[in-house]
Amino acid sequence: MEEQQQPHSTAVPPGCFPPGMRLLRRHGGGWLWGGWSPSQTRHRTQAGKLNPQPSQAGTARVSRGRAAPSRRRWPGGSVWVLVLALALPSTGQQYLEEAERIMNSTPVIDGHNDLPWQLLRKFNNQLGLPGANLTVLNDTHTNIPKLRQGHVGGQFWSVYVPCETQNKDAVRRTLEQMDVVQRMCDLYPETFSCVTSADGIRQAFRSGKVASLMGVEGGHSIDSSLGVLRSLYRLGARYMTLTHSCNTPWADNWLVDTKDENPVHHGLSAFGKMVVQEMNRLGMIVDLAHVSVDTMKAVLNISKAPVIFSHSSAYGICPHRRNVPDDVLRLVSSTGSLVMVNFYNSYVTCSDKANLSNVADHLDYVKKVAGPGAVGFGGDYDGVTGVPTGLEDVSKYPALVAELLARNWTEQEVKLALAENLLRVFETVEEVKRTLQDTAPHETPIAFEELEGSCRTSYGYSNGASTAQRPPAALALLLALAPLLSVLF
Amino acid sequence: MRERAIELMQDARLIDGHNDFALQLRILYQNRLSRVSIKEINKTHTNLVKLQAGYVGAQFWSVYVLCSAQNKDAVRLTLEQIDVVKRMCNSYDELELVTTSQGDAPSCKSILKNVIVGGIKIACLIGIEGGHSIDSSLAALRMYYDLGVRYMTLTHTCNTPWSESSSKGIHNFYPSVTGLTAFGQEVVKEMNRLGMLIDLSHTSYSTAKAALSISKAPVIFSHSSAFSVCNHSRNVPDDILQELKKNRGIIMVTFNADVLACGRKVVNISTLADHFDHIKEIAGSESIGIGGDYDGVERFPEGLEDVSKYPSLIEELLRRGWNETELKGVLRENFLRVFREVE
Repeated sequence: MEEQQQPHSTAVPPGCFPPGMRLLRRHGGGWLWGGWSPSQTRHRTQAGKLNPQPSQAGTARVSRGRAAPSRRRWPGGSVWVLVLALALPSTGQQYLEEAERIMNSTPVIDGHNDLPWQLLRKFNNQLGLPGANLTVLNDTHTNIPKLRQGHVGGQFWSVYVPCETQNKDAVRRTLEQMDVVQRMCDLYPETFSCVTSADGIRQAFRSGKVASLMGVEGGHSIDSSLGVLRSLYRLGARYMTLTHSCNTPWADNWLVDTKDENPVHHGLSAFGKMVVQEMNRLGMIVDLAHVSVDTMKAVLNISKAPVIFSHSSAYGICPHRRNVPDDVLRLVSSTGSLVMVNFYNSYVTCSDKANLSNVADHLDYVKKVAGPGAVGFGGDYDGVTGVPTGLEDVSKYPALVAELLARNWTEQEVKLALAENLLRVFETVEEVKRTLQDTAPHETPIAFEELEGSCRTSYGYSNGASTAQRPPAALALLLALAPLLSVLF
Repeated sequence: MRERAIELMQDARLIDGHNDFALQLRILYQNRLSRVSIKEINKTHTNLVKLQAGYVGAQFWSVYVLCSAQNKDAVRLTLEQIDVVKRMCNSYDELELVTTSQGDAPSCKSILKNVIVGGIKIACLIGIEGGHSIDSSLAALRMYYDLGVRYMTLTHTCNTPWSESSSKGIHNFYPSVTGLTAFGQEVVKEMNRLGMLIDLSHTSYSTAKAALSISKAPVIFSHSSAFSVCNHSRNVPDDILQELKKNRGIIMVTFNADVLACGRKVVNISTLADHFDHIKEIAGSESIGIGGDYDGVERFPEGLEDVSKYPSLIEELLRRGWNETELKGVLRENFLRVFREVE
């Protein structure tokens, strides 16, 4: 049965794929389509019953003047079917070619890749070791040839450190992961371009390099210190996932929505709100992957800038608490935010097996509920072990894009998901930073009682209170410290 | 003499090697700059008005964190101190963060002189005091450099796992470490590669010797004085001074009364000037700078109670026959030379 695909109801900018030229759904054993591929210069009109529509003048291809109504040129229907039947095996190839064509000018910006963590695990960050050569490394999802094949043009490299470093050496370890990303850029300058802005990404696109940015994965990396947050921003971090799979003293993680943990903050504490405000002021993107639903909603309500989910999928398809429920997807849409779909099997099919089509379902779903402006790719490569058949490594993005094209995604929608949505969010975050540039940095420290762990000192906190400083008390502290100081210096 | 000193300093503003004002900000105000006016605060040796009166043109702000934070939250605290210095230098027009030797070149200053009404900008630089701040991580060292840190004192009053302090018995960290371990040598080499100045104040005799022998660049003592004049463990013995001269490094003489006067009750400008004279004799005036250690210690010589008093020292040195070239060297040129070579 032939299905007639309606033009998409969501706003498709003029000059895009003319409505008449749509890809049709599966017919029998193969695909029918009414589009064109770069390898063929002639247009094909829809075989069958679509209303012929005049081509739009805005698109260069269409301006060859071949309007759909002039189908008289073409042979009759049955011959068409025969031709198409012969052509069927190659249409999948045509989608792939189309995907590659699109990605040649609009490569993918992926929201989350844990290669730096693999570099730590396997090589202790010693990039000079022969085994660490990224051009030949072959037991990770990611290496340089695969990134090229996959048309990866931008990557947020995760500078993740595990939750067990919280209250221990999380800060130092985060610095080490940031350092390994920078050294990776220095060591492979023909491939990577470490950048820190949307414009930087665009420039890297033009020069054919992989724009490389850093995302902090887990608020435990800042050890509840706004000074550390600012330092990480200065060092180039451009997003922070507020939690990994553990609460911070100021935000709840996704496990509190399961039986495994109880909520502590029911979203964000007062200090947590300051963290988000400071991130807005700095121009650091807030990432809500891994956080609890309450945290998601709290942030979407208070953030002055759009936010992202750097690697989360749709709860509506797979009800895993790492995924984004529908009501939050609607907030994503209304705030101009972005969900970058995660490929991990457990989040895609809620089982240990998945395939490429399942991932496309998530992309379709997010597009449907939150709009084409809210979709992106956040594969989580090298951060998980179970990835879908068809998406085994970072070279496979074009195959996924081909699937989207086969599902009637317009070229514009595909480009939005590949890169333009992320760039829009990033540029808006930068704009919000500009509007906030005269506001003062937040400097209230977190209350000492809210912190845990014994690997910390408390100096700077007078008498345990974090609020009002009464000069006499402060002087008393100074005088108490004075003899110690004079011995020390 | 006084006028000559002032004239000299107007022309050659001081680059001071070490000031712990940032520590005071933490202790007194929890780094909350909104609660304090840096211009006029009078609880500390340092404020902007006094710095200008003292003809200070550039100041290394120490981002010291206590040794007791070693193996605990030293890294986080160091980042917080770096953050408060940056916010401070960002919030006041009179201050400007600088990370290169060009940043405080005289020509730059004279342009700024016309821009800033009522004063000249003071360049802010950042120095880490104590290797415990890097938690034995070269990556952390690199990140600090990226943040703008331009020197690191290899130890404070505690040993690190890779370097030995001159202070014994204050802390009990890593008691078996002597001089520089193999990793300590890696740290020094990485600092050379990065262009970060190596600061040997607070380090032990063996550490200083080791660093002087392996460093490819000139080194500094950001706040130490002369052992021969007062044999305090914080001071530098003559043989090291001679090594320093060969190294083309610089000792930024410090004003801490306790290390100047060895228990003598009267400590005044003359006491300090004796140290200058002695070092000039051993290592030459081109090896000398100034590192007051204001807001890092309690006792200062009479006449040098706070950061506005530097001209009095210059006056005394003029009286003792130091000439202008030598004094300009001490005030800034020697340091700039070292900084350029390190870069």
